[in-house]
Amino acid sequence: MTEKLQKYTKKLANGFEIEIVPLPGFNQVYSVVMANFGSVDTKQGAKTLPAGIAHFIEHKLFAKPGYDVSEKFAKYGANSNAYTSYTKTAYLFQTLENPYDNLKTLLDLVQNPYFTEENVASERGIINQEIQMYLDMPEFVLEQRILEQLYPNDPIAEDIAGTSDTLQMINQKNLLQAYQDNYRPSNMDLVIVGDVDSEKIENIVENSNFQTLGQPLEKTFNKLTPIGPGGQEQMDISQARSAYGIRIDIDMSGYDLVKKQYEMNMVMETLIGESSSNYQEMNRLGIIDDSFSYNVVAENNYCFIIISGSTNNSEEFQEYLQKHLSYESLKAVLTDTKFERIKRDAIGAYLFAQNSPEAIANQMAELYFYGVDYLELIHMINSIHRDDLLEVSEQFLKDENCTYYNLLPNRK
Amino acid sequence: MKKRLAKNIFLNINPIKKFRTIKIQIDFLRPLNKDEMTSRRLLANVLSNSTKDYPSFQAINDREMDLYGSEISVYTRNLLNFNDLAFSVEFADPAFLIDGKTQIKDNLDLLGEVIFKPNLNGPVFNDEAFSTEKRNLMSNLLSIKDNQDLVSSLGLIKLIYRDDPNRQVPIFGSVEQLEKLNNDDLLKTYRDIIANDLVIINVVGNIDETEFLEYLNESIFAEKLKNDRNDLTISFSKFDDLIKNPANQIEHKHLNQSRIGLAYATEGVSKDFNRMAPQVMNLILGGDDQSQLFLQVREKNSLAYSVSSTYQPISHLVTIQAGLDASSIEEALALIDAQIAYIKNGKVTDEQIKHAQKVMLTRRKISTDSIQYYIMRSIWETIYPQTLLSNQQFEDELNNLDKKHVASVASHMHAIAQYQLIGD
Repeated sequence: MTEKLQKYTKKLANGFEIEIVPLPGFNQVYSVVMANFGSVDTKQGAKTLPAGIAHFIEHKLFAKPGYDVSEKFAKYGANSNAYTSYTKTAYLFQTLENPYDNLKTLLDLVQNPYFTEENVASERGIINQEIQMYLDMPEFVLEQRILEQLYPNDPIAEDIAGTSDTLQMINQKNLLQAYQDNYRPSNMDLVIVGDVDSEKIENIVENSNFQTLGQPLEKTFNKLTPIGPGGQEQMDISQARSAYGIRIDIDMSGYDLVKKQYEMNMVMETLIGESSSNYQEMNRLGIIDDSFSYNVVAENNYCFIIISGSTNNSEEFQEYLQKHLSYESLKAVLTDTKFERIKRDAIGAYLFAQNSPEAIANQMAELYFYGVDYLELIHMINSIHRDDLLEVSEQFLKDENCTYYNLLPNRK
Repeated sequence: MKKRLAKNIFLNINPIKKFRTIKIQIDFLRPLNKDEMTSRRLLANVLSNSTKDYPSFQAINDREMDLYGSEISVYTRNLLNFNDLAFSVEFADPAFLIDGKTQIKDNLDLLGEVIFKPNLNGPVFNDEAFSTEKRNLMSNLLSIKDNQDLVSSLGLIKLIYRDDPNRQVPIFGSVEQLEKLNNDDLLKTYRDIIANDLVIINVVGNIDETEFLEYLNESIFAEKLKNDRNDLTISFSKFDDLIKNPANQIEHKHLNQSRIGLAYATEGVSKDFNRMAPQVMNLILGGDDQSQLFLQVREKNSLAYSVSSTYQPISHLVTIQAGLDASSIEEALALIDAQIAYIKNGKVTDEQIKHAQKVMLTRRKISTDSIQYYIMRSIWETIYPQTLLSNQQFEDELNNLDKKHVASVASHMHAIAQYQLIGD
């Protein structure tokens, strides 16, 4: 066997984690700083923040007095970007040259907010266009609607970018406050993939200036309300789309939660993945097409599965899944051979991802917040047994955990 | 290793070690023909649905999983004036597996199954495979109407190729053609392709060339790929009529956001012309987050979230796309014109040129970190080597470029098409 990836790790006294992974043969250096702060984090201590504020910070941190950080990255030959998810915000660059100057720029990006009344106002227009763009995408609208059913009145059911209304509630003051409460070194990490000198990296980070130290404000999660009964609406689309949602309320975090996510993925792959008899049967019956997919999300306080796709018959789509997603169905099909196959597939996916500095960096940065070492994922996969899948399915594949949403073509 | 297996059947093996996967790709090429777009796409889907030895979708997927999650992919795409039916398998490098001894041979055999051992019932494709994939493709084609970016880009393409019937049907086919397609016809299409299309086989990854060649010679590929193939003639679209008489179209739909697409013909490459100038001009116009369009339309005037331009080196076309409020379209169009004028009038700064040169070089080098780069480069080397620049040529052309070259490209841009999808 060829040698596996190696990494250098250092946790600074202020709590900031640095991870460096050399990737022999690759030309680029890819780096990401991640903050453990995302769109769902709108309740912190006694404060309630407007929906979309994490995403707004992501956009506006690029602005600095008299310059935009992307100009600096460009000057040092890097391209830069950023993204916001339900629970994280990430800032990244990819470069061939000047990795150390680019790192300084990345640190400047996340350490020095410059929010003014004027630049906040101009960003509203841009983000509003982003929101409008997504509202024309039926897959996106469907995800929002099924989340509203899975988590009624919860921040996770809000658009990551907020709404045109909540954008108006975001201002210079609450942006700065949210930034200071969350962009603290102990709530962030840095991953660099590529050929760099770890000592130089450490020095640069040590000498950089995090504005607010200490622990971030404690996150307050909404008390979970009962799952919605399901629903449907008409939209100006030509093909119906359906989603089937499963909410899993488990009190779990860290390594155990990530392992549970792997197990749930394996359960879904067995029951409705492309190699399942159910996938083939639904296809044969014309209930689904090749847009059919599932997504398992396991975050602190949020653990759910969304199964969705275009369909010719929303009712049959829902009925089929309700009938066949069960512990009994899994027990009937999960032979030792099938389990071995599912595991091999997961091992292959892990190797495929290692072709990509981007995939390595982003997964590693995210897994850090769950206490999981990306390079040890293979052991996690190998530690999963067939009985674990049966147990997890018995635990969560229950009617009371499920709901649905349909988007139907407006026949007008 | 480069080898010709028969006339117009090429084998290229690149034993590069930096990736953790190995990819084998086989491209079947013939001239674009509007009447074959849908059948070739449906064929791609039917062949990847099941095979003789893996006679169901489940069976073939099980096999992929057994091989540590191998990824079989079959699709059609435009390549120059050709329709490329591409088959590939990408799989985990056995050097990273405990029991991967037969991994390379097994994956080659699986790809051979997909291409040469279709799932037949007598003289037609297996009915379930055919009907499932026909229904799937129909569903995909109907869903296009719900993807507004795609609607907008297809609307623009239709205008650009107004005078070229073979490009009027998208590469993934049309509902009208699909409705008429039957199983007998599809099998005829299949046999014609397997016997006559030009074939390029690419293998990239940690592979022993001699060993691979042995596998290949013992496989079904050796038996099926020994007859000579048709020559291909490269041709280029002309836009002279559109330059004189541009095509414009406005459509209305119930949408939150409007989309605009604009196309410009540029002058082709001539001897005293810098070959990198059009790409550098495009980069400065709308190719990244430092470009004129991004900074002026998005950042300064907050009119759009997405606005960009692309340059297509084969057709020499520059296209611009933006998503924005219907009420802002006129303002955005004026701003787009102003950015082209800015470049045309030589106002581009030395810093902008320097930035564009750097980005071009960086993008080229970073692209070599992807396995697909080596496959695409090998395909170009095989069918159209004139379009490729060596690393040295690329750098020389970039270094020799100045403001005048860039202004000259913008000065020779002719608006040929404009598509507006108005949300109301």
